[in-house]
Amino acid sequence: MKKSHGVISLAEIDFADRSFPFSWGPVPAVLAESITAVGVLQPPLLMEGKNGFRIVCGRRRLEYLRERTEATSVLVMAMADNCAEAELFRLALWDNRAIREFNLVETADIYLAAEKLFPAARLEGEIMPALALPRRPRFIKRCRIIASFPEGLRALTAAGAVDGETVDLLGEWSPEACQALLELVAVSGLRRNKLREVVGRIDDLSRRDGCAPTQPLAAAVKVAQVPETERVDGEVLRDYLKCALYPNLTQARRDFAARLEKLSWPARLQLEPPPDFEGGDYRLSFTFNGVREWQDALQKLTVLTGENVNEICRRP
Amino acid sequence: MKSVVDPEAKYARSLLRPTTLLIEEEIFDLPLTQAIRGRLPQAEVVVVERPDAEKLQHLSRRFSPLSTLLLARHRGRFLKACPGTDESYRCCLYQILHLGLGCNIGCSYCVLQGYLNNPFITQFVNLEEAFAELDRELERPGVFYRIGTGEFTDSLFMDPLTGLAPRLLDYFGSCRHAVLELKTKSVAIASLLDYPGEIGETIVSWSLNAPSVSAREEGHAASLTERLQAAARCRRRGYRIGLHFDPLFDFQGWQDEYRRTVALIFEHLGGDDIIWISIGAFRFMPKVRDELRWNHPRSNITAGEFIRGRDGKQRYFSAIRRRLYRFLVDEIKSYAPEVFIYFCMEDQYLWQDTFGYAPADNQELSHWLDRCCVRYREPAAGAS
Repeated sequence: MKKSHGVISLAEIDFADRSFPFSWGPVPAVLAESITAVGVLQPPLLMEGKNGFRIVCGRRRLEYLRERTEATSVLVMAMADNCAEAELFRLALWDNRAIREFNLVETADIYLAAEKLFPAARLEGEIMPALALPRRPRFIKRCRIIASFPEGLRALTAAGAVDGETVDLLGEWSPEACQALLELVAVSGLRRNKLREVVGRIDDLSRRDGCAPTQPLAAAVKVAQVPETERVDGEVLRDYLKCALYPNLTQARRDFAARLEKLSWPARLQLEPPPDFEGGDYRLSFTFNGVREWQDALQKLTVLTGENVNEICRRP
Repeated sequence: MKSVVDPEAKYARSLLRPTTLLIEEEIFDLPLTQAIRGRLPQAEVVVVERPDAEKLQHLSRRFSPLSTLLLARHRGRFLKACPGTDESYRCCLYQILHLGLGCNIGCSYCVLQGYLNNPFITQFVNLEEAFAELDRELERPGVFYRIGTGEFTDSLFMDPLTGLAPRLLDYFGSCRHAVLELKTKSVAIASLLDYPGEIGETIVSWSLNAPSVSAREEGHAASLTERLQAAARCRRRGYRIGLHFDPLFDFQGWQDEYRRTVALIFEHLGGDDIIWISIGAFRFMPKVRDELRWNHPRSNITAGEFIRGRDGKQRYFSAIRRRLYRFLVDEIKSYAPEVFIYFCMEDQYLWQDTFGYAPADNQELSHWLDRCCVRYREPAAGAS
């Protein structure tokens, strides 16, 4: 492969070309500091193209340089336009992989670009293992879903706020529903695990009720809106969705609490039913500080009749 | 001219018609292998060495599992206890005769989606070894066996191809301390009806559900009416009929739908025709959920009020199960007060709450079911 080092103007670089999609997202803070202080030290790898130099390696450094510094030129290593694009792709893939992990958006973009360059055997034998992408259809579908995401959702996914399972669920959602979710994320601060839970429950509700995800989402947002602000309380929203999806279990918990209240159950005695009331043991625990509290607790328990205990343990 | 569609002929068209036979080298010459080959003269035959899980995955990229049948030797025990579930729930101590894996009916709720690491529908062809093992096992004095072949596959969906049912009837038809149950959603009963020999206490069972569930979630299965017509024909031939409402689903309008199915049963069968009816609400291991959603993206069956059961499986919250059970049991009893109904993998509380009694342990439930078989046998013996 014919290559040469040289200083070129940033204006000569075709930033719109994404044939080598090895990075997506902002420059890490430490690298940004370094570029601000001393510029780009390691020459990015470019390839000659029809509309200027195409970026093979070093996109984020070059974008940072162009957008956030006064620099107008940069030292690069440039490949001639007759070199094999697939080979350059491999070179960039392994070079990037050696120094960092790809995020979900990068993985998806790289895989989909590689699909156009490599035969199936090479994809399965080299590219997918290099991307740590399992050779199962669902993971390939996940790449296509990410590619179809709006920019805001891609940014959240690249930042790790949206995980793979959430991506899978969102693949069935309409663009309107994805947009509504983006708006929720902006005002609720929900991220990753909690976001996955919220998306999962909205998805379940929409499937159960045969409606679009926007419906349960809008209902939940309405309930969880913090008065006189734009903010949505993530905890209230999660609780609402849980109650909506588990109405019988929610009622059973309320009934259990009501039964204890009817017996004037002291707060100091913690009584936990078996998980989800699915048979099994009740658990009683209490704290005490001295003989009096100990005797108080015991007295409360000994006055309970068999009927009271049966009533407490009545299964929903 | 009015066309008459024979349901069996109709179903025969949707049976697995493999275009490729993968045959393990060492069982190539066995009679069942050759019989299946003979019934599929157009199929491409590929002889393979004993494939491990990785090799099977590799083969599945070359040969579509939808149109390939693997003929293999089973190397473990053929007769196994049904895996059931943990001691928190009552199980009936059923025995499985392990002759095949997978089926192509394509029910969305099939638990096998999460269990099998073999992508191919597999027929074990070393039948002589299976019967030899049965000979040894069934020699044990004083033990009664309920044995089924429909746990890891459908008992009959491929029968026109394998001719297995008559072979099993040859063995079990005269067996005094074991009954065979063939469970199916198909109507491939021709070999059962035509069987010339003694059928003994053999039970043919159909899985039933609500009409919309059957239409939406049960792939290529025969319709409910076709299944019950087939059941009635089997009954006329002398087979015992079992019915399985498993899995039951909670969905809008379930009462009306399950009521319709129960009514349909008794349009085709009398209460005395039915040896037992089992009931079990939908349950699944958590890992099956992903497979199910991937394989059946339009299905909404996992979007219910599921909790984690004491056996780790996802189950409907108990109040929902109780509503389903009470309703269905009441409906069935309104037609057939004496029919024996039991729960599959359910806890004692719900037994007690629904029936007013509960088996003390798995052994007792097993004994109740054994007695059902004996109850049938006695009048039959008297009649002869």
